Amino acid sequence: MVPLQYYLLFSAAMFCIGVFGVLARRNALVYLMSVELMLNAANVVFVASSAQYGTISGQVFSLFTMALAAAEVAVGVGIVLVAYRKFKDIDITKPTSMRW
Amino acid sequence: MAGSLVTAIPLVPFAAFLVALLVGHYAPRALPRGGALPGIAATAISLVLSVWAFLTVGAGGATISRVWTWVPAATDSFALTFGVLVDPLSALMVVIVSGVSLLVHVFSLGYMNDEGETGLPRYYAGLGLFTASMLAFALASNLLQAFVFFELVGFCSWWLIGHWFREEGPASAAKKAFLVTRFGDYFLLVGLVGVLGTFGTAAFAGAESFPALAHAALEGEASVNTFGVDPATWFTTLGLLILGGVIGKSAQFPLQTWLPDAMEGPTPVSALIHAATMVAAGVYLVARLYGFYALTPTVLTVIALVGGFTALFAATMALVKREIKQVLAYSTISQYGYIMLGLGSGGYVAGVFHLLTHATFKALLFLGAGAVIIAMHHDEDMWKMGGLKERMPTVYWAFLSGSLALAGIVPFAGFWSKDAVLHHALTVGLGGQPLVLVAYLMGLVAVAFTGFYTFRMVFLTFHGEPRSETARNADTASANMRVPVAILGVLAAVVGLVNVDPLKGVVGERLLFLERWLNGPLPGIAGATAEHYHELVVDVAGFHGATVSPVVSAVVSLVFALAGVALAWTWYHVPEPVEKTDALGPAKTILYNNYYQDEFQTWLATGVTEPLANAVDVFDASVVDGVVNGVSSTSLVASDRLRRVQTGVVTTYTTQLVFGLVVLLLIVLLLGGWF
Repeated sequence: MVPLQYYLLFSAAMFCIGVFGVLARRNALVYLMSVELMLNAANVVFVASSAQYGTISGQVFSLFTMALAAAEVAVGVGIVLVAYRKFKDIDITKPTSMRW
Repeated sequence: MAGSLVTAIPLVPFAAFLVALLVGHYAPRALPRGGALPGIAATAISLVLSVWAFLTVGAGGATISRVWTWVPAATDSFALTFGVLVDPLSALMVVIVSGVSLLVHVFSLGYMNDEGETGLPRYYAGLGLFTASMLAFALASNLLQAFVFFELVGFCSWWLIGHWFREEGPASAAKKAFLVTRFGDYFLLVGLVGVLGTFGTAAFAGAESFPALAHAALEGEASVNTFGVDPATWFTTLGLLILGGVIGKSAQFPLQTWLPDAMEGPTPVSALIHAATMVAAGVYLVARLYGFYALTPTVLTVIALVGGFTALFAATMALVKREIKQVLAYSTISQYGYIMLGLGSGGYVAGVFHLLTHATFKALLFLGAGAVIIAMHHDEDMWKMGGLKERMPTVYWAFLSGSLALAGIVPFAGFWSKDAVLHHALTVGLGGQPLVLVAYLMGLVAVAFTGFYTFRMVFLTFHGEPRSETARNADTASANMRVPVAILGVLAAVVGLVNVDPLKGVVGERLLFLERWLNGPLPGIAGATAEHYHELVVDVAGFHGATVSPVVSAVVSLVFALAGVALAWTWYHVPEPVEKTDALGPAKTILYNNYYQDEFQTWLATGVTEPLANAVDVFDASVVDGVVNGVSSTSLVASDRLRRVQTGVVTTYTTQLVFGLVVLLLIVLLLGGWF
């Protein structure tokens, strides 16, 4: 059995990749995928801990996270579509009018 | 059944008020004679009901009943209620009020309608509301209810003084009357709150009333919340606070300045409100609370001193006035001073008696003056009158009856009541109350002044030769003015006979109808009788009367009064009178200008209050506003800088989020001891 530390390191790496994507990429779809990466990094920790400690609750939570992620993507893609119609682009640094 | 009929006494004039107001506004043509007829009908019904209540009380039917609970009693608290108290005093008062009001309504037909005045529905609505409030005040069963109607009569006074509000004088006089009486009413309001806080009840009469509780507390038989102060001191404080409202409403020194100005209103209003009834509300309140005032000798002495001083002070000013209504206004102030003197020296019966006779003869004098003013086409200057006796004999004879009553000439009304007051003050003063004796002496001197100014007015107005074209061609009074004046003229002559106090030793107690009436007994209401009040005054306040023959006292004051009348006779009962009081020189100017009290009060406002207010305003504008404005401008500048954080670019927000996350992680790790 793979020790828990490897899973945690793997999860941390995934999360950092997601953070990098969120910070650095300008394409809205990639931005959404980066958010997915961060969510799934958390899922990995849930499932690994669940297997390690022999309780089912971690896996249940990962299911919740997936449902949440699906909902989030639905909304997110909707926003991207609207932004595209408005700005003819999906570069997330372009829409800057929503401020003071 | 009986209770609801008594409740109708104030409600019927209230209905007349609504009719005059609403019909007068929406369908003025449908209102006969501008609303006078509903008012006359309503006051007549009230008078019948009042007389019925009077007779019921005479048959032992004094009652207290609760009509409406405003705030029900909660735990550790008390109820605020409105009720009806029918006892000898209130029954007497409602008869006076509804009777005078009826006569004034009739008189107004001649004074207002026949003269083609406008705004009649407004006028009669005011009279109706006033009558309703005054009756409800007289029947009030507790101090809170009395306060509410006390304010309402003040409001009606403002309404009616300002009837001709398009002219500057009446509008300004109305405001002054309202504000000055309201100044006194603040003290009454504080006193009312104090009474409720101390006793948990403001009821006037009965075993659970606050005068009864105060008596029990002084005897050590009951405990009330005196806020840590000695009960006697605390009750004195409460009594003085309530007295503030009395002094304002009854135009006593130093709050009397509004009453002469109130003469700007229509003369029937002056007769009803500013002579016979509303001004009486103040002294009536003292009589109503007599069970409480009789416990506090200090307050009684203050009442007597204020009364005696006001009687003299106002009489001196009446000596030199040129306008007939001004003389009457100052004599009203002076006469209410006598009532206060009577009540303050422990003479409950004497004070109430003078209240009754004064209401009669002063309403008469004002209505008579009203008839004269109409005949003179609204010229009130007595120096332009003269010889009116020939033009209006009915008014003259009635006016003469009222003047004899006012001057206190035997056997007219004022003689009996004023001498009852003075005799009472004299006995108590000689019985070990030197301050009351001082008040008595002031009252005695004022008797001579009263005789002088009264007959100066009579001779200048009615005797001699007419001194102007208007007086030569004066109109005769119409019937609807003559009838009320004649009725009151007869009453002014005979009403004093209900209590021939100075002849007490001669005719026996049997003929002292008023005293027996006020003595009760009152089954069902504990301690609202004159007998009980007298016991309190002697036992608790310690006012013991020396033995002075009432006849001697009466003869002394009669001599003073006759001296005043004789002086007026020699100076003014001549074909060509001249102003003899000019000999007073600068003193006359001071008297004519009312001792410059108005100027003094104006100076208080402009010379003291205004600079003080300006200083406070500067402080407010610089310091208080400075702090407030500083806080707001600081936050405006700061937020203007800070909002630049919001770029609108999603990546910026993400960066801030991640930065925050990293900082949080670092804090957790540092605190967790990982480094």
